[in-house]
Amino acid sequence: MAGYTETKRVSLLGLLVTLLCMIPISPGYAALPGEQNFQQHCGICHTVGSGKLVGPDLAGVNERRSQEWLETFVKSPQAMINSGDAEAVAIFAEFNQLPMPDPLLSAAQIKDVLSYIEDVSETLPNPTAAINPPAFSQPAIDQPIDTSVEIEDQVADVSTQATTEQINHGRDLFQGTVRFANEGPTCNSCHDVRNDAVIGGGILSKELTTVFSRMGGPGVRAILGRPPFPVMQSAYLDRALSEEEIVSLVAFLQYADQEQLNHQPRDYGIGLFSSGLVGTAILFGLCSFIWRGRKKGSVNQAIYDRQVKSISDAEFRARHS
Amino acid sequence: MDIRSQISMVFHLDKCIGCHTCSIACKNIWTDRKGAEYMWWNNVETKPGTGYPGKWEDQLIYKGGWEKQDNVLSLKGAGKRKGLSNIFHNPNMPVIDDYYEPFTYKYLDLIESPAGDDQPTARPVSLITGDPIDIKMGPNWDDDLSGSPDYARKDPNLANLSPAEQEAMFQLERMAFFYLPRICNHCLNPACVASCPSGAIYKRGEDGIVLINQNECRAWRMCVTGCPYKKSYYNWHSGKSEKCILCYPRIEAGHAPACMHSCVGRIRYLGVILYDADKIEAAALADEANLIDQQLDILQDPFDPEVIESAKQNGVADSTIRAAQFSPVYKFVKKWGMALPLHAEWRTLPMLFYVPPLLPVMASLSEVDNTEQAAKMGDIAKHWDDNWLYDTSTEELWGSIEQARFPLQYMANLFSAGDTEKVKTVIKKLMAVRIYRRWKTVGDISEEKSNETLQQAGLTASTAEDIYYLTSLAKFDDRFVIPAAHREQAIEMLEDTGDKKGSAGFGFKEGTARRGP
Repeated sequence: MAGYTETKRVSLLGLLVTLLCMIPISPGYAALPGEQNFQQHCGICHTVGSGKLVGPDLAGVNERRSQEWLETFVKSPQAMINSGDAEAVAIFAEFNQLPMPDPLLSAAQIKDVLSYIEDVSETLPNPTAAINPPAFSQPAIDQPIDTSVEIEDQVADVSTQATTEQINHGRDLFQGTVRFANEGPTCNSCHDVRNDAVIGGGILSKELTTVFSRMGGPGVRAILGRPPFPVMQSAYLDRALSEEEIVSLVAFLQYADQEQLNHQPRDYGIGLFSSGLVGTAILFGLCSFIWRGRKKGSVNQAIYDRQVKSISDAEFRARHS
Repeated sequence: MDIRSQISMVFHLDKCIGCHTCSIACKNIWTDRKGAEYMWWNNVETKPGTGYPGKWEDQLIYKGGWEKQDNVLSLKGAGKRKGLSNIFHNPNMPVIDDYYEPFTYKYLDLIESPAGDDQPTARPVSLITGDPIDIKMGPNWDDDLSGSPDYARKDPNLANLSPAEQEAMFQLERMAFFYLPRICNHCLNPACVASCPSGAIYKRGEDGIVLINQNECRAWRMCVTGCPYKKSYYNWHSGKSEKCILCYPRIEAGHAPACMHSCVGRIRYLGVILYDADKIEAAALADEANLIDQQLDILQDPFDPEVIESAKQNGVADSTIRAAQFSPVYKFVKKWGMALPLHAEWRTLPMLFYVPPLLPVMASLSEVDNTEQAAKMGDIAKHWDDNWLYDTSTEELWGSIEQARFPLQYMANLFSAGDTEKVKTVIKKLMAVRIYRRWKTVGDISEEKSNETLQQAGLTASTAEDIYYLTSLAKFDDRFVIPAAHREQAIEMLEDTGDKKGSAGFGFKEGTARRGP
């Protein structure tokens, strides 16, 4: 029991450290009201003045949108998208139709966060200059195949070279041949990736072959570090991925994205189904041959067959009417 | 020599009246539960008949027991290789329709039905599904049905009887039957224990009772196949197999098992028998011809000092050895040689022995003139028009044995692995005692004749008296010689009783507010 609690504590600590490492800390700002909430709830997907991550750069957002609109949007982005607000839908479409989860903040907290964003935006030299995403190497498809790909660690601003080991490790983690350290569910329970090495991923959730192109390294990292999707959130609650696992998975996903044209899982079509049918028939045939001497039915069957059965009420009435 | 003790039994079939009281006693105590309704740890069958479950003796169907191949003993239907290959679908198991679908009646309908034109009836309902059913079978459906084509003529024991012998058995005037009560044999070489993949079945060291550990049982049901007597049953509700436990809680308290205690005909005897465990393997592997001899040879004389010495070394209590010396089982099986195991050819070395029945065998029909007798009858007396005499006299000493209504071969198939001489010896002894007592009480047989029969059967007058006493007069404590269970020793093995002494003195099972837990 004690051991279990300890492990849990360690993993929580790990989670905290991971989260802290991933939060861009702008130096020079004292803790403003809303800063903590921004870092905790927003900073994984958004920056203020450092470019797009998963969601848009929020520098100067208070100038672009009305305060009322912002407050409603932050309160529940999905409700707003569903209500058909044109601007909200446009953003949703622009950012890969990736819904922003409801941050579950009170109205006062949201105001604090927005004012924190405003404060930070004001200190930036030119708020509009940072809208373009900072360059990260978008792997070109026609590049010579190299199993080691470059990973941009946008957040920590450290470029690391993904090694073949990392890619392989990422693939093993994706497939579940290697268990996550915190025993989180394996990726391919729900996701699939087009890769020759991956057999039959899940179809419960999004197909991830092009996830790297769509979201970029930082986006994928952000999602893995702190999933914005309710199902994924609860699946990895208390079972967060470690930094090393995230790096490996990102490396694998980047590799899979890059190599997708060279990986064409064969489509067996109806052949697979029919060979399954034939195989089953052969198996059943073999079983009934091997166990042909088995006891079939009751030894008293002949007696039962001769016994007179009582008739149903309806039959009785029909006969005696 | 490796002497151990076994609680063993003798059923005296001549005394069984087929009342099923034993079955009901057992049912009420042990198997009146959900999932166990169809089980009869004790059942009474009519022989010839197919029994319960149907044709249980036909091992071509059920593949129970052991078989000897190239001097190696292997289970017929279970065991390592066969068991493993059939583990997920055991192909030789009895189905519920081989037993019967248990039923009850909706008795409440009789008193709770609204007023109507017709009398309410209590419809039969299945105890498995709860739905109304047509009752198809019961645990003793063939009761007293000798000669019936479905049951008696399908008795697997008729297999190696000639067609003439079979026909003779079922001639209207010669037709007979007897009862065969059956419980678990608590075998010395139990096939159920050997077939269990979970190791859940064990034979108790102190008294040889075979038990299924309900915590270990994993419902593979290999014991159901393995036991050739079909005395291991699967409880579909609990998902565990169950069998006769020889009422061990009663035995440990010094009481006879419920079936034996309640026996109306007092046919059942129970006592300790000492056996030599070193001889088990050889006996189980004995040639067909020596099966009975070698199986009985395992059982040892409880008065032999060497046997006593070895028993003591194995931790058999003095009280148990003493019980073995008074054991009625030892007397019937070894001392007098009158009881035989049921189906020894399955090589499980059953520890339940049967005294074969004499009664339906020993009579002949002859033509007599009844006019003189009829003349003495009054007007209201029942007159018999036929001139047949059901003759139980013994003009020809052993003649009627040879012309028995049950061919000796049939009895031999049941009790002596097909060896008619073995059964004949036993039946001669039974008959000799009967003639001896007839000389003594009725007096229509001469003393010379009585002595001659005793001598030919290998008995003396005093032995005949002893047999007579244990057969007909024996009191409760003569029939059931149950040794002390010595639970105090068992408890001492698990805990230090000195710890308790002088501490509480008055136990609490539950904590109290003041004393704490």
